[in-house]
Amino acid sequence: MEVLIKDKIKQVLKGNQNAYSYIVEEYKDKVFYLCYRMIGNRHEAEDLAQEAFLKAYVNIKSFNLNMKFSTWIYRIATNLCIDRIRKKKPDYYLDAEIAGTDGLNMYSQLASDTESPENEVESMEMQETIQNEILKLPEKYRSVIILKYIEDLSLKEISDPLDLPVGTVKTRIHRGREALRLQLRHL
Amino acid sequence: MTCPEEIVEYMHDYLDEEISSDSERILKGHLQSCEDCRNYLYELKKAVSYVKVPASITVSSDFTERVMASLPQEAKKKGKLKG
Repeated sequence: MEVLIKDKIKQVLKGNQNAYSYIVEEYKDKVFYLCYRMIGNRHEAEDLAQEAFLKAYVNIKSFNLNMKFSTWIYRIATNLCIDRIRKKKPDYYLDAEIAGTDGLNMYSQLASDTESPENEVESMEMQETIQNEILKLPEKYRSVIILKYIEDLSLKEISDPLDLPVGTVKTRIHRGREALRLQLRHL
Repeated sequence: MTCPEEIVEYMHDYLDEEISSDSERILKGHLQSCEDCRNYLYELKKAVSYVKVPASITVSSDFTERVMASLPQEAKKKGKLKG
């Protein structure tokens, strides 16, 4: 997979813009999930994911071909999300509530055929609660936890996009997981 | 309830798949005899399982198209004009 992606990147570098669509297809879900968990709002998460891919494209010349593209795009997306969170801090929790409403509409459209009744995690109230609890995590814990659990990345693979030592990543994951345990144990 | 202090640390190492075989043996032995710690580990696992985004939340079907439409137009070939 990586080899194929590298090949597409080389094509993009040669000026074949269309080759980029293959790369977007490949990573769009993960990048969107990452943004969604960071920001808590589906539409905003899509905007941020789109911005991340645009930014990666514009800067593709600075991409190091020895690196994994996923590492690079996760870094760009995480930084965009953190910037967004910092900019809107004052009304942040208000937005988190709106995020729930947004999800509700989408869920009510999808509910009939995609939701299995026995799976609580899929229920809207549950998702809303989970998202609100994740948003309460300080951003430095949130980003490591999200990177770890959106794609099961190893500590090393998380430390690269965030430019953090592995030891720091480890500590943050432990603390973030403890905080989440306390916040979510009653669900 | 007197659990060794390092048990929680071992749980995290276990969840990160970074636990040594010695520590893992100690952890497993302890968990067999301690319901509180079993419950603690269960809560940790449960908490992180919630972080995963459910499959029902998906990116719009025209996402890639919109990204591609947002890209700057490729620069027209320049260079040879000025000879």
